Amino acid sequence: MSFFQKLRLVGVRNEPRGLPVGGRINPAGVVHAAANPARGPESRSQEATRVSNGLKEFLWNLEGLGRGTLLDLGAAWQTTLSFFIERGFRVTSDDLLRAWADFLAQEEARLKNARATGDALDMTSEARAERFMNANLRYSEGSFDAVLLWDVLDYLEPAAAKRVVASVTDCLRPGGVVFAMFHSRKPEAFQRYRVADSMHLQVLPAAVICPAQKIYQNREIQDLFIRYRTMKSFVGRDQLREVLFLK
Amino acid sequence: MWRKEDQKTQAGPEISTSAGQAAGTAGGPRETPASAPVSSRAAACISQGIRINGEITGNEDLFVDGLVEGKVELGNGSLTIGPNGKVKADLSARDVIVRGRVDGKVTARDRVQLWSTGHLIGDISAERLAIEDGAVLRGRAEVAKHSEKHAEAFKPAPKPQEQKKVEPLPVPAGPSAD
Repeated sequence: MSFFQKLRLVGVRNEPRGLPVGGRINPAGVVHAAANPARGPESRSQEATRVSNGLKEFLWNLEGLGRGTLLDLGAAWQTTLSFFIERGFRVTSDDLLRAWADFLAQEEARLKNARATGDALDMTSEARAERFMNANLRYSEGSFDAVLLWDVLDYLEPAAAKRVVASVTDCLRPGGVVFAMFHSRKPEAFQRYRVADSMHLQVLPAAVICPAQKIYQNREIQDLFIRYRTMKSFVGRDQLREVLFLK
Repeated sequence: MWRKEDQKTQAGPEISTSAGQAAGTAGGPRETPASAPVSSRAAACISQGIRINGEITGNEDLFVDGLVEGKVELGNGSLTIGPNGKVKADLSARDVIVRGRVDGKVTARDRVQLWSTGHLIGDISAERLAIEDGAVLRGRAEVAKHSEKHAEAFKPAPKPQEQKKVEPLPVPAGPSAD
């Protein structure tokens, strides 16, 4: 299996998890979405909602900011964007995982090309991270008040994750806040998240963009975010840690 | 009563302007002339396989399913980028609907719609924004209407840890004045 196959599972889709409908709480602490008459039965069975203390704390930190700037590194969801835009934020959406998947496809093509022409291409993870960062997250220093990082870091190569954190830290103003999530064990399914309200996140099973690369321990998370003043964790029963970082 | 009929007959030609329907509706009481002009309201189309390099300006609706590079300014018109459309340009129109790929800044006087097949790399500035699940957006979204109206309405949930801290209310000394 080539490193590309390890990093990117092409064409693999998550099976619908068949979540029961009706707003009950399962042992993992996930509140399943109640029936939404506006949507079909299939989508109803796939959506779940979880209580998010991290989000609550994140919003609390943004209180009184007025027209703040937010960088959302997850998928562009109408609900998430509207939630912050309606509260006066200027939102920048940048789906980093999709960018990573696109980048890997380009790398694969670049490698084939290099093999055909006999050129040397540095394929170490550090070199790859360097190339990825040359084309992504090119925001000016201190341009954001808050960053939604979601669980993106779990899906990047560790070298790239390190560079992403450094870049996010640079584009965050002093006193800014980052909301990130980390899996406590390898995730069984690929999920994406969106803001349902100020206390809840919607969890949406999605087609795999790239498989999880690393499970971070607390110490490793602290090392990654060493430039931040404080770190606050909220451990959920669904093996997902929400962490808030204050710069 | 007579007025109603007058209005109907006046409205006739406008409804029958869309291509193909004009002939079908000719069976009514009033005959449409064979040389009836095609409505200027019919959306212009840059279909698949056509490539345009340069600036497109106008005030009418436009459907792009081909390749466009440069600049598109439609003023009061509506711009739709079809599922096969690939546009590398700054777009400006009343409404912009993205179903294909756009690389550039999108400015709409009214609304930007990003469909599930839409892929937009660039900033959005609009009065209203609709994003369908599955759409890809990489850029800043500025929605003027909401951001100015609700700028001061941001009141998040109380801080989790401080929820338990309840300040004792001062006990009034006597009966209230009101």
